[in-house]
Amino acid sequence: MSGLKELVQGAEFIAKSMGVTLKTLVTEAPNTVQYPEEPVAMYPRFRGLHELRRYEDGMERCIGCSLCEAACPTGAIYVLAAENDPSNPVSPGERHAEVYEVNLMRCIFCGDCMRACPTEAIVLGHNFELAQYDRVDLILDKEALLNPPTPNVIIRPDA
Amino acid sequence: MSDWITITIDGKEVKAKQGELLTEAAARAGIHIPVFCSHPKLDPLGACRMCLVETEGRRGKMLVTACTTPVNDGAVFYYDSPRAKDARAGTMELILANHPLDCPICDKGGECDLQDQAMEHGTGHSHYWEEKRHKEKNYPLSDLIMLDQERCVTCWRCIRYLEQWEDKPQLGLFNRGSATVIDKFPDAELDAYTSGSIVDICPVGALTNRLSRFRYRPWRLEHTDSICTHCGMGCNLRIDTRDFRVRRNVARTNMAVNDEWICDKGRFANGFAFSEQRLIQPLARIDGELQPVSWSEALDRVVAGLKDVVARHGAASVGGIGSAKLSNEANYLLGKFMRGLVGTNNVDFREGSALKAERRGIPSLKAAREADLIVLMGVDPSEEMPVLANFLKRAVKRGGAPVIIVHSRRIELTKYDGVFFNPAPGEESPLFDALTKASLQARNEASPDWLAEVEVDEETRKAAALLAKAEKPFIIYGTDYAWGYGSASIVQALTNWIVAAGHGDRLGFLHSQANAVGAADMGLMPDLLPGQRPLTDAAARAQLEALWQTELSAQAGLGYSGMIASALGRIKALYIMGADPVGEKPGYQKELSSLDFLVVQDLFLTETAKLADVVLPAASYVESAGTFTSTERRVQKAPQAAKAVGDSLPDWTILMHIARRYAPEKADAWRTPSVEAIFAEITQAAPQYAGFTWENLGDSGRQWAWDALPAPREIVAYQASEPAPIDKTFNMRLVTGSLLWDDGNVFAATERMASLGRKGVWLHPADAEALGVFEGDAIAVRSREASLELPLYISPRIRPGTVFVPFSLKDAPVGELFDEYGPRTTVAVYRA
Ligand code: SF4
Ligand code: SF4
Ligand code: SF4
Ligand code: SF4
Ligand code: FES
Repeated sequence: MSGLKELVQGAEFIAKSMGVTLKTLVTEAPNTVQYPEEPVAMYPRFRGLHELRRYEDGMERCIGCSLCEAACPTGAIYVLAAENDPSNPVSPGERHAEVYEVNLMRCIFCGDCMRACPTEAIVLGHNFELAQYDRVDLILDKEALLNPPTPNVIIRPDA
Repeated sequence: MSDWITITIDGKEVKAKQGELLTEAAARAGIHIPVFCSHPKLDPLGACRMCLVETEGRRGKMLVTACTTPVNDGAVFYYDSPRAKDARAGTMELILANHPLDCPICDKGGECDLQDQAMEHGTGHSHYWEEKRHKEKNYPLSDLIMLDQERCVTCWRCIRYLEQWEDKPQLGLFNRGSATVIDKFPDAELDAYTSGSIVDICPVGALTNRLSRFRYRPWRLEHTDSICTHCGMGCNLRIDTRDFRVRRNVARTNMAVNDEWICDKGRFANGFAFSEQRLIQPLARIDGELQPVSWSEALDRVVAGLKDVVARHGAASVGGIGSAKLSNEANYLLGKFMRGLVGTNNVDFREGSALKAERRGIPSLKAAREADLIVLMGVDPSEEMPVLANFLKRAVKRGGAPVIIVHSRRIELTKYDGVFFNPAPGEESPLFDALTKASLQARNEASPDWLAEVEVDEETRKAAALLAKAEKPFIIYGTDYAWGYGSASIVQALTNWIVAAGHGDRLGFLHSQANAVGAADMGLMPDLLPGQRPLTDAAARAQLEALWQTELSAQAGLGYSGMIASALGRIKALYIMGADPVGEKPGYQKELSSLDFLVVQDLFLTETAKLADVVLPAASYVESAGTFTSTERRVQKAPQAAKAVGDSLPDWTILMHIARRYAPEKADAWRTPSVEAIFAEITQAAPQYAGFTWENLGDSGRQWAWDALPAPREIVAYQASEPAPIDKTFNMRLVTGSLLWDDGNVFAATERMASLGRKGVWLHPADAEALGVFEGDAIAVRSREASLELPLYISPRIRPGTVFVPFSLKDAPVGELFDEYGPRTTVAVYRA
């Protein structure tokens, strides 16, 4: 007769757990994010796609010092600095980055570049949408870095 | 050695040399005392106090500066003691008190003594919190050098370099205390030709290279040990590249050659390696226009063109012109191709058979530094070889050597004690005859009859006496006396003098082109085979025939100007590699355009290349490998440092391909796949190079022996050339010569240096006054052939009655003025 007892017991458990499910179904909002229709919130310290920041007046913060390049453990950054044209400077002071590239095929998102930067120019943002159809598009140039698709820059106290 | 003594540093006994500086003795023992002002090539000063150590003095322990303290036997020093360490940390804190610490934008960052020593000897904190002092931050000292006064640690190295090596005090310290700044002396320009050396020796980023400003980070540079090919000195330098592109040149030490200095041309003029003007693909004349073609088509056209001319007019109607700016390998292969495959001895280069020069160059650069007398004839080292000029200045200032100068201009070195002769063009050989006689008299030898009439005066006697007394004189002549009309007699006359003085085996010629000795060694002269062996030497021909698997003609060929002149006659095709005759003398356009077939292989679309049927883009020496033989016969390597521009190829590769297409049946003799292999073949073809290999040339090169070829021994009577006639119209004598800052093709590619120098015609103040003209006026110089217009410079260095027009000026090729008296013609000068 143990078979019948087990059956009743089993039904009881199922009813109990389904009860939780049914209760939650009506009392709580769904947790699933409708990505990509809906945005995904990242933790503040998440390290995603790089961005190059500007000062409020529009000047580039980067001075082309190449310290990020030096700090990068994977050789993902390339910087070529140049003199600012005094009549049309792109950054405060004499020096700016003429070429700045991040190679996302190499980057491991460690954030060392951000830590090395003396002007808080390069930061890792929250954008994680890195997929591309073409490898070449995985190399971000200065243009792309200065104009991220979704500017979402935070300065990290821990950085 | 007897002069070894023992000193004690931190309780350890250390061997030292009596009297050497503590910094040196300690370094040998592996203790590197930090320094800023001390520099091994500058006199000790003791200005920065970075090198403080403790010593046992008469009144107990005391602090001394290690860089000015000579060591004595038994002396005791403490480098690691708390007090010494404290003192150095204190010095560091004071230096940093006003230092801007803008390392991220400083070009020295990463190779800066202050960064390194602050990490090692500083405390990491500062007692100062006040605002730092502000000074000039980006202050151009010249077109080449930027000064940041805030970064300066007032070590005096720059000041001392200019005083002790250039003998040109141009920088000084101004103000006092922490307001002290480096600056130019009032009214002085920083225009010393080796000014860039102060960038190398500045321990911090106060002095930086303006042309490469912000273009590199030291830790990302690839280094290639190479040499400079702007002149014949063969200075050793390091080419720093990133992404296979040249970022900067710095000096490299070679004690036998350039010590640790290079001139500003060598350091800054590297723009040719990445110029926008470079040829990036082969061009061929199609429908009358030069149009881009593929390499394979270009090569086929060259081969077909040459073969066609040989078939119609014979091999003697073809000629090859190489260049003393190009490597041994390039010149060797051109000679081998022309003589061995085409079958013509018409090969030469501009400074080849036309130059009546000692083909061995000078005995050695070391001899210049050790000289007890300096004799300069028709050569101006300050303009032609600035680093050598500095060595000579040291020999004068430190070795007490007097200077005898024979020159048509009052050159810089005439400021030193000695004798200066200033013959006008045409008066040189009589002067040398007088000197010959004076030297014979000084040595109590009889003069030959033909000198009987010659008069000896006070000055000639003085020069002869100096030369008679000298034991190791450095005696050189230069291009001014060895080139063009009348040079044969001048060179014979000056050789007579030096032979008469008993120094014939010391007489050298200062080749001003990087590979002028090498090109002759490679046999790129109509009458010389590789190894500088005469074409008439049957044994030499036989040896080369075996090596090249070919037959060689013994019939003498035409030289550089002969080939060009004959372009209107028997020469039908020319292969010109790295030379620009039309740029030098636009009149040559007539000759070269009448050729059936012209090939030009060059970096740029030169005036000559514009006339060519096929233009082949060559890679510069920085982008290809090769060896060069300097004016002291030192064979040195210049390995590839950068990526070739566009589709350009090394000269040797191009020639190799042409040869193999020209004679596929002889491709075996042209199977050398690399520069190393070509060099190995050269060592077989040129006996002086026997035993050299690409590897054993090493870092500092190898010299072939000065006595491998004979020196002049006899006084020879000669026929003096008549000077060019002076008449009412053509009443001034032309003087030409090279200035460091000219507009030569390779140099002009560094566009940011174009404004350097004073490019124009030069007159003596008296002549300018007589003509009623002023500095800066546009002046016309007219000869019987042509006329040039240039701005005027007035200088007492010019001989009255002469007008000086430098070589290689843009839009004013002095060669245009030459008539049958060549560079020694007479001209009319007037306001344009
Ligand atoms: S995040 Fe790390 S790996 Fe990526 S570029 Fe920066 S330093 Fe390099
Ligand atoms: S991003 Fe920052 S560290 Fe990188 S080059 Fe620019 S300023 Fe320097
Ligand atoms: S500029 Fe450089 S070399 Fe000259 S005194 Fe200053 S730190 Fe020394
Ligand atoms: S002296 Fe001559 S070889 Fe030396 S760096 Fe200057 S140009 Fe080059
Ligand atoms: S290095 Fe000794 S005082 Fe400057």
